[in-house]
Amino acid sequence: MDINLAGMYDTLSALIYLARINGGFFRKQILVFWMSFLLLVLPVSQVLSKEKVTFLPQWIPQAQFAGYMVAKEKGFYNEWDLDVTLLRGGPDINPFFNLAARETTFCSGWLSEGIQQRASGIEVVNLAQIIQQSSLLLIAKKERHIDTLADLNGRKVGFWMGEFYMPIRALIFKHDLNVKLVPNYTTVTILLKDAVDAMAAMWYNEYHRMILSGYNPDELSVFRFSELGVDFPEDGIYCLEKTYLSNPVMCENFVRASLKGWQYAFTHEEETLDIVMAYADAANTGTNRAHQRWMLARMKDLVLDSDTPGSFGILDRDDYRKLGQTLERMYMIDEVPEFDLFFKGWH
Amino acid sequence: MLSWFRNSIVYKMTFLVMGTASLVLGFVIAYSYHYSYEMILKGSETNARHLTLSAARRIEQEFRSVAKVAQGLADHLSVNLDNNEQTLLKLVKTSVENNPEVYGGGAIFEPGGFFKDRIAYAPYFYKAGNETRFVQLASPFYNYFQKDYYHITRLLNRPTWSDPYFDEGGGDILMVTFSAPVYWSKTRGNPEDFRGIATSDISLEWLTSLVEKIQVVQNGFGFIISDTGIFVTHPVREDIMRESIFSVAEEKNSLALREAGRKMVLNHSGFVDIGTALTPQESFLAFARIPSTGWSLGVVLPREELLADLVRLHQRTLLLALTGVCLLFVASYLLARSMARPLLRMSGAARKIATGDLAVDLSDIRSSDEVGQLAVSFEEMVEGLRQKEFIRDTFGRYLTKEVVQQLLESEDGLKLGGEQRELSLMMSDLRGFTSLTSFMAPEEILTFLNRYLGKMVEILMNHRGVIDEIIGDGILAFFGAPEPMKDHTVRAVACALNMQAAMDEINTMNELDGYAHLEMGIAVHTGQVVVGNIGSEKRSKYGVVGSDVNFTGRIEGYTVGGQVLISDTAYQLIKEYVDVRQTLTVQMKGIPGMVTLYDIRGMKGPYNIVLKDRDESPKLLKKEIVIEVHRLHKKVMDKTKIFARITHKSQTSVIVLFDRKIETWEDIRIKLADDDYPSRGGEAFGKVIHTRQLENAWEATVRVTSLSPQLYQLFKDTGSD
Repeated sequence: MDINLAGMYDTLSALIYLARINGGFFRKQILVFWMSFLLLVLPVSQVLSKEKVTFLPQWIPQAQFAGYMVAKEKGFYNEWDLDVTLLRGGPDINPFFNLAARETTFCSGWLSEGIQQRASGIEVVNLAQIIQQSSLLLIAKKERHIDTLADLNGRKVGFWMGEFYMPIRALIFKHDLNVKLVPNYTTVTILLKDAVDAMAAMWYNEYHRMILSGYNPDELSVFRFSELGVDFPEDGIYCLEKTYLSNPVMCENFVRASLKGWQYAFTHEEETLDIVMAYADAANTGTNRAHQRWMLARMKDLVLDSDTPGSFGILDRDDYRKLGQTLERMYMIDEVPEFDLFFKGWH
Repeated sequence: MLSWFRNSIVYKMTFLVMGTASLVLGFVIAYSYHYSYEMILKGSETNARHLTLSAARRIEQEFRSVAKVAQGLADHLSVNLDNNEQTLLKLVKTSVENNPEVYGGGAIFEPGGFFKDRIAYAPYFYKAGNETRFVQLASPFYNYFQKDYYHITRLLNRPTWSDPYFDEGGGDILMVTFSAPVYWSKTRGNPEDFRGIATSDISLEWLTSLVEKIQVVQNGFGFIISDTGIFVTHPVREDIMRESIFSVAEEKNSLALREAGRKMVLNHSGFVDIGTALTPQESFLAFARIPSTGWSLGVVLPREELLADLVRLHQRTLLLALTGVCLLFVASYLLARSMARPLLRMSGAARKIATGDLAVDLSDIRSSDEVGQLAVSFEEMVEGLRQKEFIRDTFGRYLTKEVVQQLLESEDGLKLGGEQRELSLMMSDLRGFTSLTSFMAPEEILTFLNRYLGKMVEILMNHRGVIDEIIGDGILAFFGAPEPMKDHTVRAVACALNMQAAMDEINTMNELDGYAHLEMGIAVHTGQVVVGNIGSEKRSKYGVVGSDVNFTGRIEGYTVGGQVLISDTAYQLIKEYVDVRQTLTVQMKGIPGMVTLYDIRGMKGPYNIVLKDRDESPKLLKKEIVIEVHRLHKKVMDKTKIFARITHKSQTSVIVLFDRKIETWEDIRIKLADDDYPSRGGEAFGKVIHTRQLENAWEATVRVTSLSPQLYQLFKDTGSD
């Protein structure tokens, strides 16, 4: 139970001040009564006034969601009158489904997915764009003689089902690749065991898992989607349009507290890692601090690295348009939703 | 400190010895440390590699036997294509139950792999305590097709060991699974015929306890990493499946550990220094491959333990060396001190000697080494100095500086024997002294004598005379040796004159002290004598012998008080300098012919001395003095009492009337006749120098040589007018 001590102190100070100047009016007994009343009622009323909401990230607890964990643990959500529960994502969970089913208030997801959902009639709105670029890579072992994108032709490429499918298809489409896609259900084992020749990987996650499996960077061939014309912005915060329309202040509060969480996370590495590791351990993800340290650092690169300063949390209209058109061209959506209906961020 | 060092042989030696020893020992220890470090490290490495390899083989055996279970099941299912569920369940169950190393096992099928109408079918048995439990893995909540143990095996189409994983399908534990493909046909291997897999699991807990049982080192630990570097077993349980050797390397920023990890996953065996990457203390890592899984067994060996023998050896060596250096310090200090202390003592003694103090005792320096010898030599030197000092002291009283010097300095100064040389001899004697002393107390005699001799020796030395002998009141001295001197006769005579002159002074003092009046006679003779060290080794003197010495003695016998008589030989040599008072011609016993002697009054030339002439003319006494006279024969008194009378008296002589004949040169003792002078004692000695026969009487002129104070007073009182 959180108590707004600062607020209480102000109130008490005011009462004491009044008691001094109006000594005759405020009897001592009355003062004691008021103070007792305030002590009992104030905290309860504070908690009662908080909005209970949930947030569902699209993957297991890791530094990819450090900002939300920090905002929760450092009490930033509380400061914005929110009582947030962080739900646990994972490979079997599509957060947009949960959003549509009203099982969560907010969720995190890729922009391509968000656009597709909106285009398919599920009325979601983007409240903030956290990662403004693509961090997706294709990685391969150099020892298997893959040095250029063309070397992948005729080879097996591992990929995750779901949201990852769109950028990979876009890449294949754009570069006219002839690869055999093999679904990957876990991490890099598929590549390590040579069950595939290359795999889709996140810069902040699987790439480093390869490093943590003993591969040196110079032993890996890395193809960055962002440099191959498939620069899809990734993580953003979503909610249903109805939720937004019924309580825009709450939505704004959630975004502001989350952004503050991110900013705090990037400037307090060790403390943030402690928080992240606690969440990861609770979910038994079997990760380690070294890996989360790498992920947090890459998140910092991705989240803060933007062409336009002050764009933190803002969805760029151009980025939206380009991605929308790409999806449209690939027949993934019928029509690009209107930007102003889709993005409800705060400038 | 520096000045101590500079000024002290003790510190110099101690620190030099200790410094050198420490340096040498330091080098030896450093070299031996380096050498044995390499050797022990090499030995330890070989040992650790060997132990790790054999431990890896043991684990490999376990993996193989577990793999065999699944493979056996898979082979069976590939051959027996019927779909009797009971047979299958029994088969799977026994495969788990009959193999203690197997945690769980299952038969996991492709859609329609067992029952044509079932998308998923996967009976699975696992151990829970003592019982074997069954679970059907196929469920809406557990998609085994996506699990690595299935998915990867299917993709690779060959038996695989999975990465360790947390299994939620059955026992909810960390495990690894061996998956062997099951096919639809006996000719296995065609991916089209893939029917499913047979699995057997190893619990990581069981594997961890297996690794923990492998005691390669006492304080180290063993661990297994998978072929992706992740910890499969680790003493810190939380690190299993969470950390990889590379994540630890990254967090510890240890390139060495990362390189070691790469070697491990690349299936090398090896031995590397990993510093503090895996343990708080410095450690080595030995590793070996587990071929089945491609995993690697690592053994962390703390450097301290590995090199414990070396450290212990060198701690002891160092301790011994330190003890040695300490002992050496003490030894060299003692040695240096044993050298320096006698040296200091000797230097102190030398300083003392320099001031003239010879009271030096070094007898406590007892060592017989070179220092001891030095001390002995030093003592001998001091003894020599002491003897010389003694000689100088003793002889110096009687000998001139020259003699002493010659005796001391010339190498054969103290050799016996001598040389024939012409010298001047001098002999002096107090007239009647012997008889006179018989009435005196011994102490008085000595005072009396020392006063006389002291003065005489002083004068002798001034004239560079050498005293041959002092017997009682008599002195024998010579001039012209050891140094040759041309004017030894002149010196001798001058010396004699001066000695006579000094008698007045002595007598004045004697009178004041109430002693007797003394008269001295001196004889000087120049002649050939033998001069040198006379005597034996034990007792010798530098002196003269020869007939001329006796002759001098004879001359002396003719002297009367205040007289210097010289021989003719002497006279001939110096006659131009001397003033002769009278010439005497005497007959000497044993010498043929007459001997001429010269009574010398004074001397001209450089010595320029003249003796006062005494009033020798006798004056008639107012009243005659009656005396008793005893004759002296060779200084022995004749008992016959002769009465006589003194009629005249001069300053030196008296005229005595005897009733019988008396000889010239006869010595006599005079005593006052008791009847006339009852109250007066005293006596006098004299020599008859002239006689004359009267009627009925003999008149003798007696030179008075010594006079008792009483008589001296009487003579003064009864003096003539």
